[in-house]
Order: sequence, then C-alpha cells, then structure tokens
Amino acid sequence: MGDLRLMKGNEVVAEAAIRCGCDGYFGYPITPQSEVMETLMLRKPWEETGMVVLQAESEVASINMLYGAASTGKKVFTSSSSPGISLMTEGISYLAGAELPCLFVNVQRGGPGLGTIQPSQADYFQAVKGGGHGDYKLIVLAPASVQETNDFMDLGFELAFKYSTPVMLLTDGVIGQMMEKVELSDFKPRWTDEEIERISGEWACLGKKDRPRHVSTSLELDSEKMEQNNHRFQAKYQSIQENEVRYEMLNCEDADYVMVAFGSSARIAQKSMEIAREKGIKVGLLRPITLFPFPIKQIEELAGRVKGFLSVEMNAGQMVEDVKLAVNGKVPVEYFGRYGGMIPTPGEIVTALEQKLIGG
Amino acid sequence: MAENVTYTLKDFKSSNEVRWCPGCGDHAVMNAIQKAMATLGKKHEDYAVVSGIGCSSRFPYYMSTFGFHTIHGRAAAIASGVKSANPNLSVWQISGDGDALAIGGNHFIHTVRRNIDLNIILFNNRIYGLTKGQYSPTSERGKVTKTSPFGTIEEPFNPGNLVLGARGTFFARSIDSNVKHSQEVCTAAAKHKGTSVVEVLQNCVIFNHGAYNDINDPKTRADRQIFLKHGEKMLFGANNEKGLVWENGDLKAVVVGENGYTIDDVLVHDAKTESMNLHHALIEMALPSLPVAFGVIRDVEAPFYDEEMEKQIAHVQETRKITCMDDLLNSGDTWEVE
Repeated sequence: MGDLRLMKGNEVVAEAAIRCGCDGYFGYPITPQSEVMETLMLRKPWEETGMVVLQAESEVASINMLYGAASTGKKVFTSSSSPGISLMTEGISYLAGAELPCLFVNVQRGGPGLGTIQPSQADYFQAVKGGGHGDYKLIVLAPASVQETNDFMDLGFELAFKYSTPVMLLTDGVIGQMMEKVELSDFKPRWTDEEIERISGEWACLGKKDRPRHVSTSLELDSEKMEQNNHRFQAKYQSIQENEVRYEMLNCEDADYVMVAFGSSARIAQKSMEIAREKGIKVGLLRPITLFPFPIKQIEELAGRVKGFLSVEMNAGQMVEDVKLAVNGKVPVEYFGRYGGMIPTPGEIVTALEQKLIGG
Repeated sequence: MAENVTYTLKDFKSSNEVRWCPGCGDHAVMNAIQKAMATLGKKHEDYAVVSGIGCSSRFPYYMSTFGFHTIHGRAAAIASGVKSANPNLSVWQISGDGDALAIGGNHFIHTVRRNIDLNIILFNNRIYGLTKGQYSPTSERGKVTKTSPFGTIEEPFNPGNLVLGARGTFFARSIDSNVKHSQEVCTAAAKHKGTSVVEVLQNCVIFNHGAYNDINDPKTRADRQIFLKHGEKMLFGANNEKGLVWENGDLKAVVVGENGYTIDDVLVHDAKTESMNLHHALIEMALPSLPVAFGVIRDVEAPFYDEEMEKQIAHVQETRKITCMDDLLNSGDTWEVE
C-alpha cells in the first residue's frame, strides 16, 4: 500500500505534480481552484525537487509562461477555473500548433461569463471541440474522484509527451473541493537533460552545445506547408482516437438503457443506476474517462443492443451531441442535466430516465 | 450640466444588501464616493459605474446608478468603451490593486496614456481578498500570504508611479478611514478632464488587517501623513510644525524652526505643474524617513481623448471631400477604362 491520505482534489493536483517529477507550475488565483497553487507554495517543491512555482499577474501571463517553459522540454503545467481557462485559450491554440507537451487543469465552475463559483461541466465543448482557433484537439481526461485526479496527473504528462501535445484534466468544483481517501503515487525524479533530449528529441531548448538549431512556432506562411502540418496534426489525433480511449462501464452487460456521464455527474449517475436497478429498471453506466478521444466504438456497440441512452451532464447538454453522433440514430438519445452551478440529485436523474426514455 | 439638482448620499445607494465583510474599508470609500457624486451637480442618470472583478468590484450592485460589473482586469477598457460611445456620461471605474494592476495593468497604463475622461478609483488593500488571501502586485516585498508562505520575492508597484510613467494628468491618494478627505479627492477627480486616478489605501479586515497601521495609527498619524493642497505649504505634524524641503536632490522632512530651517524653506505644493519631478518624489515618499503623501498630487490640464475624438470627427466631417456614394466610388485607386 502506498501513501494513503485524506485530501482535497485540488491539493492532490499539487501533490501529484510534485511526485510525478513536474518541473514547473505557473498559476493565478481563482475560485474554486486556488488551493492548487497554495498547496504547491506550502510544499516548497523547489527545495525538495527543484520544481518552480510562480504566481503570475494573470492567466494570460501564466499560459504564456507555460508556453515558454514547455519549449524547454520540461514537464510543466498550470491550473485554473473556467473564466481563467477562457483567458488561456489563445495560448492553448498556439501550444497545440507548436506541438508542445504540457498539462492544464480546469476545475470548472458555472458560466458563462463570470458565472458562479459552484461546480459545473459547462466547459465540455471548450475542452473537447477546441476553444481556441484552428483545427486542433486536446487530449481531455475527466477524473471522477480524488484518486483519479492523482493518477491522471502522471498519465496526463505521459500522454502529452507521447504525442507532443497539450493535455487537459477537466475536473470541477466538486472533485476539486471534496476530500477523499487517496493513495498517492510514488515519487519520480525530475528528468535530467539527457532524458529530455532522449524523450523530446531536437526541439527542446536545453541550452546544450552542438545541438541543431530549432525555432518553436505555430506559424507557416506557405499554405501548402501549413496544410502538411495540419495533416500531421490530424494523423496524430487519429492515432490518439485509435489508441487512447479510456472509459468505465458499469452494469452494461444486461442493460436496457445506458446513462453516459463523466466526472462528478458520473458519480451521481452511479447512485441513480443503483436506485433504478432496485426499481427493476435494467440500466447501465458508461463513463468516458477520455472526453477526447471519445469512446465512440463502445457507444456504437451498445447502440446495437440497448433501447436508449441518457446523457447526464452538469451543463445544458453538450456531450449529448457526441453521444448522438456515435449512436447515429439507432436508438433514442436523451439528455438530462442541471447547470449554472447546480448539481442534479440521483432521484432527479432516475425521474428523467423514466420520463424521457422508458415512459416515452 | 450645471443644473440645480440636489442629492444626498442616500440617493446613490441601491437596495441590494452590501456583502462586504463588516469592518471592510470598502464601506467607507463607497460613502465618500456617494457623497462626492451627490454634490457634483450632475444628474443621477448621468453616472455610470464600471468595475472589474474583486471585492471592490461588487461596487456597482450597491449603487443606484447604472452599473457594469465586467471582466477581471478589463474595467478600464470597458469604461473607455462606455465613455467613447456616450461622452456625456460621468464614468467611474472601480478597481482593486489586483484587478487594475495585475491582469489589468496593460489596460490601466494605456487608459491613463490615452487620457480619456474617466475617474478610476483604485482600492489598494495590497492583497487578493476575493480569492481569500494571495499576494497582489502591491503587496510589499517579503509579504507572507497563502501563495507566498515564505514571503514574496517581488517588488510591488506604486500605483502613482505607473500613472506618471504613462504620462498621467491626475493622481491623488486617500485612505479609507478618512471619508471627508476621500470625498474631497474624488470630487477633484471628477472635476478633472482626462483620466483621474485616485488610490485609496484600504484595509482588508480579513486577509490583510492592519496593512496601513504604521501610516494610520491615530497616535502617530499626524507625523506620518501629509495632506497636500495646491498652492499651500507642505506642512504636517499635530501642529503643522513639520514641513518638506528640497535638499540634495530629494525631499526631506524637517521641523520648522529647528536646525536653521524656516517656513520659507518649506515647499509649496504645485499640483498643476507639468513637470513630474516633484510629483514623483511626493508619490515615492515612504516611512520612516518621510510621511506618506495624501491629497491631489498631480492635476494637470492636457488634451483629453473623448474631446479630441469629437473634435477630430467634427473636423473631418467639415473638411471631407467625399460626401456621397459616387464620391466614394470615384476616390482612391479608381480610374476610367478607355
């Protein structure tokens, strides 16, 4: 058994980063995620591992510090909450275009605009469909527990460097603020320059002699070459779609109906599933863990044998569009959700299931 | 707009519950601003209050005027938009040190440089209060906060220096506890044409309590604060027995009548001079060797953007060669094919 603790999701983001050998963090306070930077500052990783922790003057500054830091081939990340992520989207698009690996944590709150400080999943479209400009995708991991928050920090960096692309942990005010038992990862040392050179190859700005010159950029004025770059990005996203889909299925074997839910709404939907099963409704739960790549094949397969889907989300109905694309009209797909910082109750979800799918 | 309208402070209060902490300095600053507005002779409906994000930025909810609670750091740009689109309004921007100087630093200096006729009231509590206690761009070096548990390692901004650096035309400083003085400087700010910046030193009772105790302790503050008035001697102390003189290229605090200093040596405050040298020295004054300067430090006449913009539009309309669609089609890179 590893190091067992009772911790907040936000605190675990900080702790897991230190333990997975992260080199740097650049952040700015915003509710409900300020504990990430506060925990990092208290932990003083610069003394323990040499990791840098910097409070920027804004999210715009922190994303661009991250852009600079990522160009050195080091493991760097930032965290924020919805309005702060909106400020970062310019930088995110550039990072994707320059193919630089890094990690963002979005502890979502209700929007749009300044919205509220209560939890939400209304940034699904922003995370999965782009947010910034241009044809790019982020790998989006959606933890549903404090434990997964811990695990996905390391996984996030692994995927970022495997595909040389930015990765987002899409969590929310529930997961960030709640305390749960967590088994922390073992400490990994930070990469040495030699390891960075081996992992990232020529592009990393290491400050070492006799390396070929490289200019990090997302710009290519020759449109034919820019199209080639985009071909390369798309091939990468295709490969991610084929190889990196992660999901959890509960009670789907005998299910007549399947709920699709991610993150904190999956936790609630799991309880709804138990209530519905007690009532004799054969319902299962598909929880996408990666939102991009989305578990398209798994939904296609289920669509061939269930009577309908209910997409449960803490937004006005965003992921339901991807569920519909995967189901492709074979069976009904319905949506239920609360938003603007409100959280659905398990009972509300069961009622929606009964009224929208079974009764209908 | 010199109509005969009489208001009281209450006319500017809204029915919304004020949600600042009990004892927060913001309450007093709001009273001062409302009192100033009540006496400016402008119609109630001509005021617009724009804020960014932060504790002080809740201000528009508590005002009975038109209000705009906007985006973190962007209040200066949004207020500029309001003023340019409707120059008849008296536009007040309420920002904190985080809002105006961290994320909003860029908009802040450019607004001041552009000299658009706004009144920017900068609530400086030297901390991020709304996010519960992280250091801000005005937190003093070494400040222990939630994000600097071992002390900050950064130099703070002095807001007045930024105003001068952007060639600002108006800067004043006040403190939350002195409502009468805050009202006076806010009134002066409103009367100034161009961007007026009023820095109000404000106590955050929860996350930075006592930040200004050294300046504002009632037992010692007569010796630690100087209230500057244009055209008057720079005197301070319980009985105005102290004064500021210029010596060896800097300001110096002296006791009048001691060490050979007479009242004639004491400087006279000139807020209207274009030169920034003395204004800069006054803004920079800090304990323990010098008192902290309050009052209107700089109030200089200069062309201001909204008026310049109107003038330019009128001039171009008068002198334009293109007056109809045909003129437009036949202008520029057009020629007849023969």
